[in-house]
Amino acid sequence: MREAFSNALVRLAVADSKVLLLTGDHGYSLFDEFRKRCPDQYINAGIAEQNMVGMAAGLARVGFRPFVYGLAAFIPIRTVEQIKLDIAHDDLPVVLLGDGAGFVYSHLGTSHQSTEDIACTRAIPQLQVLSPADRFEMTAAMDYAYATNGPVYLRMGKADLGDVHTGPNNSLQPGRLLKIRDGRSDRPGLIATGSMVRAALDIAVSLDLRLWSAPFLKPLHVDDVRTAVQATNGLVTLEEHSVLGGLGAAVSEITSEHQPTRVLRIGVPDRFSEHCGTHAYLLREHGLDTDSVRERVEAYCQLMASNLIP
Amino acid sequence: MMSPIIESSMTPFDPVRMRRTVLEMAYAGSTIHIACAFSIIELLTVLYRHHLRYPGNDPRAEGRDYLVLSKGHGVMAQYACMHELGWLEDSHIQNYFKDGSDLKGLSDSRVAGLEVTSGSLGHGFSVGVGIALGLTRKGTDQKVYAIVGDGELNEGPIWEGALVAAHHRLNNLMLIVDKNGFQAMGTTDDVLALGDLPAKFSSFGFETLEVDGHDEIAIDAAIRQLWAAGPTKPKALIARTVKGKGVSFMESINLWHYTRLDPKSFAEAVSELGFTGASK
Repeated sequence: MREAFSNALVRLAVADSKVLLLTGDHGYSLFDEFRKRCPDQYINAGIAEQNMVGMAAGLARVGFRPFVYGLAAFIPIRTVEQIKLDIAHDDLPVVLLGDGAGFVYSHLGTSHQSTEDIACTRAIPQLQVLSPADRFEMTAAMDYAYATNGPVYLRMGKADLGDVHTGPNNSLQPGRLLKIRDGRSDRPGLIATGSMVRAALDIAVSLDLRLWSAPFLKPLHVDDVRTAVQATNGLVTLEEHSVLGGLGAAVSEITSEHQPTRVLRIGVPDRFSEHCGTHAYLLREHGLDTDSVRERVEAYCQLMASNLIP
Repeated sequence: MMSPIIESSMTPFDPVRMRRTVLEMAYAGSTIHIACAFSIIELLTVLYRHHLRYPGNDPRAEGRDYLVLSKGHGVMAQYACMHELGWLEDSHIQNYFKDGSDLKGLSDSRVAGLEVTSGSLGHGFSVGVGIALGLTRKGTDQKVYAIVGDGELNEGPIWEGALVAAHHRLNNLMLIVDKNGFQAMGTTDDVLALGDLPAKFSSFGFETLEVDGHDEIAIDAAIRQLWAAGPTKPKALIARTVKGKGVSFMESINLWHYTRLDPKSFAEAVSELGFTGASK
């Protein structure tokens, strides 16, 4: 997935000399190829993220296409105001790349973990929020981010979990869900984003559930969510992000207004990580490992089947 | 439409007339930040009169120089310049702050003629650094002027941007500090002392000069001298100014960061500027 990211970035930069990569002194080996192929389009702006985002706005104002890279804990979180005021307010074509979202930096603690970035960015007008699930979605998301010619936050989470699609997505349509598999219509449907789609697929296969990937957190297409509701019996959302303000919230906002149903929001509970450990360990700490999620989804299937829900 | 205010004097960007325009706006909109605008009037007079280039008198011309008002609180002074240029009508001045109007109390980049959305301080300078870097990469001779308040120098991103500007040898960028000695709650010395600003910017790698920020001839000379010097360095002009300059009862009285004009103070201020009567 990171290779797909690097390849897409290099391809876009080679094709358009206005594409610039700005990094806040992060991404050491990730940009080897970029630095080799497009050395003049590479700017290490130093450990100065706020200035870097403001600078990207200035570069965009005079015709450049900045891609601004940082860890999601810093891009967007440290620079939310610069993103709002300097970039989104003026609808500038700047792509913000937040790497290591969720618990990727599990051993480093709270400073490098990011479970609030979707919530913060979704509320900024004109800013689109993308969260690709595998290398195919990553390639399509990069192409979309470049082509849309406006402000985009592209969230990059745990990247080595494997594919969820069987081949390339030719193009992403704004806000559209991508159907991953069909399943039983009398059971809940799953909508997952980013790093959680892989686990959602395993669970969906074992319980024969319908599954959609949500490469967009914003916009999110009302009709697609309605269709998901109509095709299933309740919904489950899965994300490596707070249960507040992320995918679960975005889906619930639509269902509550347009197609009321029950939505089980599975994500990071409203608390910080307590302990140190691997990514898999932290998922367990927050009840997001595949076994814990499967148990919750199974119980939810039974609940929905029991007709005890008014 | 020929403005009655413009008709009352001959030279464009006349500081007295621009202060009058600011007073008209502030009175019409019953708004604050008059003193913040008054301290940068002569700086803007010199920049707009002698330095800023707007091909075709088009505020959005691709080949223009950029005036980034990072201290967005002084925006009424920039509106006064835009009024001189004919980019704003008298009605913009008279309808300031009316419901549904476009001109806000802080710089908003969606208004043609304003380059950044500022007022949240420490933003505009970084955007200016990015513009200067972009223009350098494009190989144009366009210039970027970024006006920051001395109080604004409290903000961290200013110093991040200063490092970056020097590192990338942005010799098309001029940082102008409106050193009026005040910020919202008191003097800069009392709130957060800035120390020796010329020494600070010199040590950051800027070609630096200090000037009386109300002496048009000295400002113009300093700007020319900075552009002529140090071909690999960004420039810093530290302008010693007086907050509220031009109206005696506002000068260095920090209340005028916040105070609104009433009919009496408006008439007195206008009269002090040498006008016989207020137009409204």
